[in-house]
Amino acid sequence: MKMFNDSHLEVKKFFSGAFETHPYEVGWADEAIFFVMVQKIKDDPTFTAQVQLSQDGVHWASDGSDPVSLKGLGLHIIKVQSNFGNYLRLAVNISGGEMFLNLHISCKG
Amino acid sequence: MSVDEILLRSRYSPLKNILSYDIFNTGLNGWMTLMPNFTEYPDFDVPKTLVCKDQWPPVMLSSATYRYPGTHGAMSGTYSLKLSTRPVAAPYTEIPAEGCLGHAIKRMSFYRPGCRYLQIECWFSYTAEQDVMDEDNRSQPGLHENSIRDFGMGFDIQVNGKRSHVGLRYLNAVDGKLVQKWQYELSKEGISDKEWAFGLEGDWCKKGVDPWWFGRRYPNGDHDGFKDLADGHQKLIYNETDCKLNWQYMRLKIDTESREYIEFQCQDRIWDMRGIKSDLTDAYNRIDNLINPLFWVGTDTNRRVFLYIDSVVVSQE
Repeated sequence: MKMFNDSHLEVKKFFSGAFETHPYEVGWADEAIFFVMVQKIKDDPTFTAQVQLSQDGVHWASDGSDPVSLKGLGLHIIKVQSNFGNYLRLAVNISGGEMFLNLHISCKG
Repeated sequence: MSVDEILLRSRYSPLKNILSYDIFNTGLNGWMTLMPNFTEYPDFDVPKTLVCKDQWPPVMLSSATYRYPGTHGAMSGTYSLKLSTRPVAAPYTEIPAEGCLGHAIKRMSFYRPGCRYLQIECWFSYTAEQDVMDEDNRSQPGLHENSIRDFGMGFDIQVNGKRSHVGLRYLNAVDGKLVQKWQYELSKEGISDKEWAFGLEGDWCKKGVDPWWFGRRYPNGDHDGFKDLADGHQKLIYNETDCKLNWQYMRLKIDTESREYIEFQCQDRIWDMRGIKSDLTDAYNRIDNLINPLFWVGTDTNRRVFLYIDSVVVSQE
């Protein structure tokens, strides 16, 4: 049986502009999915995110995947490419408004 | 005896009945972050409070990997339970800033009558994030030991009609100044629920409940939710740099019948705490017989800090 864990990263808050999710260690896992639940919206925001990796949790770089853009209320899924190592985060920019998020990371391995 | 049992008996001193023995190499084993209650209208909102408690980071399984040395691993295997904070803190005397605390909790209960003594013990370590150099106006500006405000271990218990928060915290630094002493949870006599909740009438948390969030704080490190442990100054190991961990041991034993602290141990020191009664708050609805062991860590400044739990044993007899 595999080990599974889902953890909150950013919840119960409006976001706009640039921010990064809390550095999250997941070296034990094979798979990682960011669940981005957009619960409330102000104006007409677009959420653009880049998956980033780190060796030390302090210095980050793009994992080489394309940035993901999403709009609208509801659940959006960002799957992390394999070979992601240990530390993971999303570098996000929300433009054109604000989004109230429930953002989780689910991992399995 | 298996190797596991040899290690258990050698590294720990459990009471007769082991409720949980978690070494975090098979998962988080039920340890998770502590969130507030999402029960209010209109959208699973929190009950009214002046303390924002929903911005704490998650717990995670950490390999303790750092910039220069790479992976520390744990005392047992590769992974330890890591508690972390956001890089934000208010001055010590103010209401805790959003996200300045990290929490881990496991939720269990009394499973049979006659369990008088309850104990939690763990191997732990702690460090501050090795992010940026401080200003070059002090020695070792790359060492951030004084960024850690506090960390603690204890229980939230409800039995026989009363709720008690019991535990010890290591008050490491107050507004940048190293303090390095142990304090135990016990709320100040004579203060009201409203004073406990920073002046808010009707907060969910009554006097004595959740002292890491509530209770007035004073510039010298005093706290309306904690008392100094007598002769409680202790220099733990903070091994010369933010990227080294030494695994250290602590144990807390309490009496759930007489509602007293019994004994606290950290490394080579044992404090006899018999006679120190714990807080007694009127029981909250629907949580009779609750035993919730828990840990927390708090930052003193705008830097993330971390508490690592290699393994933890909760036992009763």
